Amino acid sequence: MSGVTLRGVRKSYGGLEVIKGVDLDIAPREFVVFVGPSGCGKSTLLRMIAGLEEISGGELQIGGTRMNEVDPSARGIAMVFQTYALYPHMTVRENMGFALRFAGLSKAEIDKQVMEAARVLELEPLLDRKPKALSGGQRQRVAIGRAIVRHPQVFLFDEPLSNLDAELRVHMRIEIARLHKKLNATIIYVTHDQVEAMTLADKIVVLRAGVVEQVGSPLTLYDDPDNLFVAGFIGSPKMNFLPAVVDAGGALRLPDHGDQILPALPASAKLSSGTQVTLGLRPEHFRPDGAAGLRLTVDLVEHLGGESFAYARHGEGGEVITVSTGDSRALESGQSFDARFDPSKALLFNAQGLRLR
Amino acid sequence: MMNQALPLIRRTLVYGALSLAAFLSVFPFLWMVIGATNLSADITKGRVMPGSALWTNIQNFAAQVDLPLVLWNSTWVAVVGTALTLLVSSMAGYAFEMFQSKFRERLFGSLLLMLSIPFAALMIPLFVMMSKAGLMNSYTAIIAPGVASIFIIFYFRQATKAFPGELRDAARIDGLKEWQIFWYIYMPVMRPTYAAATIIVFMANWNAYLWPLIVLQTNDMKTITLVVSSLASAYVPDFGVVMVGAIVATLPVVIVFFVLQRRFVEGLLGSVK
Repeated sequence: MSGVTLRGVRKSYGGLEVIKGVDLDIAPREFVVFVGPSGCGKSTLLRMIAGLEEISGGELQIGGTRMNEVDPSARGIAMVFQTYALYPHMTVRENMGFALRFAGLSKAEIDKQVMEAARVLELEPLLDRKPKALSGGQRQRVAIGRAIVRHPQVFLFDEPLSNLDAELRVHMRIEIARLHKKLNATIIYVTHDQVEAMTLADKIVVLRAGVVEQVGSPLTLYDDPDNLFVAGFIGSPKMNFLPAVVDAGGALRLPDHGDQILPALPASAKLSSGTQVTLGLRPEHFRPDGAAGLRLTVDLVEHLGGESFAYARHGEGGEVITVSTGDSRALESGQSFDARFDPSKALLFNAQGLRLR
Repeated sequence: MMNQALPLIRRTLVYGALSLAAFLSVFPFLWMVIGATNLSADITKGRVMPGSALWTNIQNFAAQVDLPLVLWNSTWVAVVGTALTLLVSSMAGYAFEMFQSKFRERLFGSLLLMLSIPFAALMIPLFVMMSKAGLMNSYTAIIAPGVASIFIIFYFRQATKAFPGELRDAARIDGLKEWQIFWYIYMPVMRPTYAAATIIVFMANWNAYLWPLIVLQTNDMKTITLVVSSLASAYVPDFGVVMVGAIVATLPVVIVFFVLQRRFVEGLLGSVK
């Protein structure tokens, strides 16, 4: 298996630059997930690696070889598409063997490889069916099978589970994770679903407007984001952001919460008095035994069964703050309560949105 | 009472109008079939009842027309013409939709504009062209001007909009060149579109009259439409024989239509769903 290296990779359509210089190292056998909001360029970047989009600038290497000008079929990649992209007029067997036919393999060799992939994906009973006679999950497995038979250096997945229903998505997610272990393959996976990103990835690449915002393991991104965007993008429900002003000695004053004072954080102690900052608190940072508290009134409660979330505000018109109440179902709409939290868990961001550590 | 009477009157009018339209469409066919069973004199008198002269008319038709040769001429022109038109025009439609270019829309717009030029205006330049190219009295002369059919290019471009781009991407990753994508993926996937276009183009080629009349000069090259027309324009036309000729001329189109009928509807609705 090969690694993938991107150095200053750019993409422009006319005067519009959509990928603005991406540097990235993907190790062999690594499972890397590109996430980001719609239009951030994650699919474009994947298509550039696949060779389906031209690279306007920079260099792409797969297995240490420059690939910018190489034909998609010669890059040692295989791709699984969101809409499966199975050839509708061919059977599962023909779909899976099609690339091998064009690679000049003998019929016997094609049959052998197709059967091998079909066995791994439990597709044997479906081999003579056409795609329209398959369910969404089966089609996705065929699409993965079509990728496997090519024995690629790198697998590329472009939002492969988006067209499946919730239950099947969970099932296929587990299958893909299992497949990664079994094939020991390098995988680049694009999704906007952060549960997929968190559960599948060895490494997540967060993109925004064609720029890599942060690269790291899922838990690094969750616990230690570099900026407000990553902090807000990773985690569901998203992190709460509270405007704060640094007081004397680094203590933090919360103007939207009755000027409540929080003790100084290591990052705020270095700041001069009057500096505007943003305090980031995840919903689960709220705990009954926290040292500080916000007086909030509940707007709405969502009970998910195992855990509940209260959406609450401080006074009329205040920012909505999401509080995880764990397995307690005691809160009700309209109720006021003291949302206690541990100030040392809070993250601090400067006015430019960059993390203060 | 008023409320019930109104829909009844409306319905009667609608059904009446529809029946009249149906009659007007079907009557010429009916008359053609009935006419083939009557003698010419009866037809000119306006007889619309089946007669007993069918066999006589067929015999007379067979005596006057070298049917195998005429059918071969028409079939050659229609089949080869249709195959070439579909191939060239679908390639153009595919290219217009798939390949990005600054000039694409301008070029396509000017092509569409050419649809508004009547054939009568093109007839003489085309005649001169064919004559200079030494193609007069050949099948090439009949087929060539219609091979790049603007209407069929337009039709394929519209249909190609529904062709999933990801299939093309998948094929590129599978190692196919552009012409292979067209041949192995696009053409089979777009089969209903091809079927619908086949009916349209085959009918147009089979029924072509004016252009073959201009470029074909010898009797051994003539197509069925020209032959039927020449039967009807004889000094004393035998309308019974003309009707038999009309039936023979109609049958292949009817057969093609019925064979491809289901696909025709699918093709008009769009190949890819």
